Amino acid sequence: MKALAWLKEISGEKAAAAGVFAALVFIPVFIFSGRLAAREISRYYALAWSLFAAGTAFAISCTGRVSFYRRLFFSVSALAFLFHFKLGLVNNIFWPASFKAAPFCHIAMAPYFLGYLYQQYLAFMSGGWKLWGPLTLGAAWLFVTLAIGRGWCSWACFYGGIDDGLSAVARRPLIKFGGWVFKLRDLPAALLVFLLLASLAYMLPVYCLWLCPFKLTEGFMDGETSVRRVQYALMLFALAALVIGPLLTKKRIFCSFLCPFAAWQAFWGRLNPFRITADQGKCTGCMNCARSCPMTAIKDGPGGKAAITAYCNLCGQCLGACPQGGISYTVFGAAFPEAGGILGRLFSAGYLFVFSALTLGAVFSSLWAPAAIRDAVKLILR
Amino acid sequence: MPALFSEGFLLGLSTGFYCLASCLPLLAPYMMAEGRVAWKFNFFIFLEFTGGRFAAYMLFALLATLAGKAGNFALPHWALPGGMLACGLLMTALAAFRVSGFSICLLKQNLDPFFRRLPMALGFVTGISICPPFAAGFLRLMELADVLKGFAYFGGFFSATSLFISPVLLGTPWIGQKANEIGRLTLLLAGIWYVVLGLQGLL
Repeated sequence: MKALAWLKEISGEKAAAAGVFAALVFIPVFIFSGRLAAREISRYYALAWSLFAAGTAFAISCTGRVSFYRRLFFSVSALAFLFHFKLGLVNNIFWPASFKAAPFCHIAMAPYFLGYLYQQYLAFMSGGWKLWGPLTLGAAWLFVTLAIGRGWCSWACFYGGIDDGLSAVARRPLIKFGGWVFKLRDLPAALLVFLLLASLAYMLPVYCLWLCPFKLTEGFMDGETSVRRVQYALMLFALAALVIGPLLTKKRIFCSFLCPFAAWQAFWGRLNPFRITADQGKCTGCMNCARSCPMTAIKDGPGGKAAITAYCNLCGQCLGACPQGGISYTVFGAAFPEAGGILGRLFSAGYLFVFSALTLGAVFSSLWAPAAIRDAVKLILR
Repeated sequence: MPALFSEGFLLGLSTGFYCLASCLPLLAPYMMAEGRVAWKFNFFIFLEFTGGRFAAYMLFALLATLAGKAGNFALPHWALPGGMLACGLLMTALAAFRVSGFSICLLKQNLDPFFRRLPMALGFVTGISICPPFAAGFLRLMELADVLKGFAYFGGFFSATSLFISPVLLGTPWIGQKANEIGRLTLLLAGIWYVVLGLQGLL
């Protein structure tokens, strides 16, 4: 009944605009995910995933609640990754060729960049130059950075989806952060610099060996007992930051304080034109936006007004938190002039960004999400 | 003597990248933490750091030749982890006491900047953290067993490896307050890493 009432509330023009927007997302996602998924499985699974992405676009457009539906999509994508990839590794544990199927982890890419420049060292084996080769990886990263920049961390990353989803579970934070937390906000950048240098010095994937929570289930452990214990301790710490931290604090602890790729993307994300901007004229200094920000990326700025830092990854959570409606998506800080009509509604910085981010996130997650749907169907029908 | 200087210089040239890889996790975060926009200021820090390294190398040249004269041709097993531990402890202390926000720290008081920065001490502990090329030179000095020849040999080695390290200065004119904060945290992480490696070797 609630759903019916909600549908009645939607005006004709709003629904039409949402339909157009959903179609604009659906078409590229289905084309690309169909091609990716059809290598191994039926296109119907890709169709299901594309419809889910289009449904997300429709809901965002109808309700204006960007972060709520983004989080739903983002968390489902991350769960699909865990379900398909990690279970797949367990099933293929005695099959060496399964290495070929390992996707190149974007978090592993940034800390080993110097090692790659010096000795063409990559943390993961490649199935060939086209699939996860350095050239294709570099080109893909550049495309992602130009298209959505820091938005990667809130729309496409499979680590982020876990962190973000769990940060929304608790109603209220059990542990609240004070201003002191900003003293540690540069920790991912420091970790990135350290990992770049240590990985170069030792020619080892230092992050994968010591801090990746996903490596707990893999064969990266050292042969020496004492070293292995330290590895387990650090990886469990990272896992706690990924799972328990968000539940207790309602903040994305792993992404905010431990992820080197978040720092890498925060630096290079300046190349991307999309921003979240706080209108200083409307800001009353209530700091609701800072409290709602799961990335601890908004701080008390000059004059007691909200200051959005470079660590913002455009999740949109603060848009609804501002009582004055003073926070919005912009292009280099400027909003587009308002236009009427169905297409005019869609011509805004916000819609352009959501289209880019949602489409890119959905296409990227086509590497595992349609296969995860197939796994789930097989599991149910077994 | 010039022949020995050249020999040390060539050893440094051929293995310089390994020296750079060993020194970078110390020097780069340190320059980030302490550097300023003024290139001249950073160059002075670098000179102090290099001076500390030079002192350590000359000390080792002396020790190696004395060991060689005494007929002892092996490095003590604790030398490498001990050097790493000393290095890590100094880095951790420098970083922990300088990270802003730690109100309990003692070194945040109005001390002379020289005592807070200690680049020469960091250079010295870097010098005593023996890396494989350094160990190769050390063994050659034990064989030579002559103090002056040892100084010439390690002088050459020091000059060549310094060439590899000096490009670190190039990036420093862009260092701002943000980079200082990131550098301090990096120095802390790298210090803890060296402490763990040192303790692992000793225990």
